[in-house]
Amino acid sequence: MATQATELEPTFGWGEYGALARTRRWTTRFIRTQPLGTLGFVIILLIVFGAIFADYLHTSDPTEFGNDILAEPGADHFFGTNREGQDVWSRVLYGARPALQIGVGTVLLSVVLGGVLALLAGFVGGTVDTVISRLIEIFICLPAILWAMVLATSADDIPGLERGSVTTLVVAISIGLVPVIARILRGNVIQEKNRQYVEAARVIGANEGRIMFRHILPNLAPLIIVVASATLPAAILAESGLSFLGIGRPAGDPGWGADLGGKARSLFRTYWWLPVFPGVALSLTVLAFNLLGDSLRDVLDPRLRGTGAR
Amino acid sequence: MRAYVLRRLLLFPVILFAVSVITFSLIRLLPGDAAVARLGAAGAQCDTCFEQVRKELGLDKSKPEQYWIWLKDAIRGDFGLSTSTRTEVSPELRHRLWTTLQLGILAIVFTLLIGIPVGAVSAVRAGSPSDYLLRFFSILGLSVPNFWIGTLVVFMPVIWWGWTPVKDWVDLTDDPGQHFLLLLLPAVVLSISGAAYVARITRSAMLEALSSDHVRTARAKGLWERAVIMRHVLRNSMLTLLTVVGLQFGVILGGSVIIESIFAVPGIGAWIVTAVNNRDYQIVQGVTVVFAAWFLLITLLTDVLYAWVDPRIRY
Repeated sequence: MATQATELEPTFGWGEYGALARTRRWTTRFIRTQPLGTLGFVIILLIVFGAIFADYLHTSDPTEFGNDILAEPGADHFFGTNREGQDVWSRVLYGARPALQIGVGTVLLSVVLGGVLALLAGFVGGTVDTVISRLIEIFICLPAILWAMVLATSADDIPGLERGSVTTLVVAISIGLVPVIARILRGNVIQEKNRQYVEAARVIGANEGRIMFRHILPNLAPLIIVVASATLPAAILAESGLSFLGIGRPAGDPGWGADLGGKARSLFRTYWWLPVFPGVALSLTVLAFNLLGDSLRDVLDPRLRGTGAR
Repeated sequence: MRAYVLRRLLLFPVILFAVSVITFSLIRLLPGDAAVARLGAAGAQCDTCFEQVRKELGLDKSKPEQYWIWLKDAIRGDFGLSTSTRTEVSPELRHRLWTTLQLGILAIVFTLLIGIPVGAVSAVRAGSPSDYLLRFFSILGLSVPNFWIGTLVVFMPVIWWGWTPVKDWVDLTDDPGQHFLLLLLPAVVLSISGAAYVARITRSAMLEALSSDHVRTARAKGLWERAVIMRHVLRNSMLTLLTVVGLQFGVILGGSVIIESIFAVPGIGAWIVTAVNNRDYQIVQGVTVVFAAWFLLITLLTDVLYAWVDPRIRY
């Protein structure tokens, strides 16, 4: 295989027509045509870097009670300290971890689940489609935030879930997203199913499974990426909202939403750095993902250009 | 058209029934017992009180029987007694729903008042620095969580001017002026992300209309640019906005939860935060059914309006 590939202008490797060269060309074009998306990507990289290397970048233990209570931002504490004397910079830094984990986890769960439902409904059709479509119709009526709240508060009673854990929040937030995603994708599966290439594949003898996963799914990839990139910031916002209400992440743990709510709120009127820094971190993260998502939509799906579909 | 609407309306009770069954089962599936929540952990130790409370809440009956009891009253609009406070759910639900609707409608008004002009200016000056600036603000508006803006709005004026926006709640009937003022700030904060969304939709819809043939014709026959924009471009873009506004109406509850808590507005949103914390599933169930009905009604209304505004659409 390897020798053959070098002889025949490889589809892999560094050659002019190879996958890597294609990726490189795609990347340079993306950077040139999508400056805002690139900016978003750079910010995301910085946040991911901060989350991964928080152990080296923090100045003190984010959960340890310090003696410097409610100190102003300065050289010792970049972002000041809170009522417990915890360093706000360290808390903001560690707060990136649950936010990113829950964002990525929610995207994976809801897009995979929504995608499978959409493929089944759209491709298999018939009774399967009827059942799934009716279920989607019913679940879309349920107020998502209410059910996320119910699940998040009663998580301790559900086997395998623990109140305030990342998994619990991923599940709670996904409930409301799955039917929405499934509905969007189902329509597109049906659209793709009736395209000529599917007919052609069937004519040359491809079985249904192969058509579904090797033909339809890859053609839906751009749309799935667009949906995923819109879901991620929404999930981060949802998590911070639940934590803000005190039913998301545990209050003591570093987390942007939780640090903006809870008992500390009475101090906000005097100590401005308490609400400002976690809020800026949260907004910046969501903004970065939105900028990148917007650019990806422009590049991958010109039909949706500028619609700002959420 | 009439047959279509009738068919959709006939489906309403079916879907609502399904919603109520699912809600009921999910709640009863949760191992946590409403009786425990009512008694508190210490009270649950006492077996006789536990049984008594279970009886009082009707939990000793079989599950289908419990559902039947609930359904019989629910059809008449009575959602029973709250499990935590033992007060009637329905009157409070009605009162709070009215408050939340006022807040939501006011927010949608601001959404359109801010979103449409921003999007229109952005589209007319596409590619200019002002377009970039407005677009940046739109995406910023979508990204900044409204509970953070709400928090800053509540606390920053105190720091700067020593002025507190949050005051004691006043009902519409007691003092309409004060009532409106109290709703103003939460409504503006609530409208920000929607306005950003509307601005983006308006911009893209107008750009599409601007490049269409009928606009070229309108310009060719010598119409003022102003008339072209107002009568031919903006008007055609309003179609897309209808869906967005319908969507905003449908999800009024979702947005209100956090904002009502911050601004101490006694609506549904603030209510369900307490209800969920108290495991008051009677309230959760009532709110779910009411909002499912609301959502269904709004989607149907949007579809009908859509067909009415755009005669090309036929059901």
